[in-house]
Amino acid sequence: MTSFVVAAIAMLVALVPAGVVIVRGALADAVVGFEFLTTVAVLVFALLAEGFKRPSLFEFPVLLAVLLLGSGLVFVRALERWL
Amino acid sequence: MIREIITDVLLTLAVLTVAAAALGVAVMPGAAARLHYVTPAAVVAPVLVLLAVFVTEGLDENTGETLLAVLVMIAAAPFLSHATIRAIRASEDAQNDTRDNARDKERA
Repeated sequence: MTSFVVAAIAMLVALVPAGVVIVRGALADAVVGFEFLTTVAVLVFALLAEGFKRPSLFEFPVLLAVLLLGSGLVFVRALERWL
Repeated sequence: MIREIITDVLLTLAVLTVAAAALGVAVMPGAAARLHYVTPAAVVAPVLVLLAVFVTEGLDENTGETLLAVLVMIAAAPFLSHATIRAIRASEDAQNDTRDNARDKERA
């Protein structure tokens, strides 16, 4: 197990507090938790791609990083009236 | 050997950054305060991961794609934070207006 995989697992563990905020917090808190979670997910994909030495898997973090902006903005805009 | 040590140090720093940010997101009161802690995970940690990949792989395709993802993340983070805090403030203003109107009606 390379250090990249260990770092990916550690970052996944760090997502637990954000998950708790998403599940138990108010809607505005949950949106912030969602943004944090998607941001760290990009890093986890990059770390796993490097850890498993699969160059093709590097497509995932690039795509997710692009979708992060679009989905986040659409999400915030759609939820604005209920925040 | 030296490359592995540098990579481990960079990855440790990235994990510590994300862990501290996660703690901030979990502990801080209110969405606006929590939002501050998303920024280190969106800007600092990706740069550290990019440097770790660069130290391990050198200049190649993997480093390029990681750079692309990191650049998009760093560019997107301020826009996303701004949109989120704007929505939260608009919601707070609307709630305050509703409360003020109800108070005015009670007085009238």
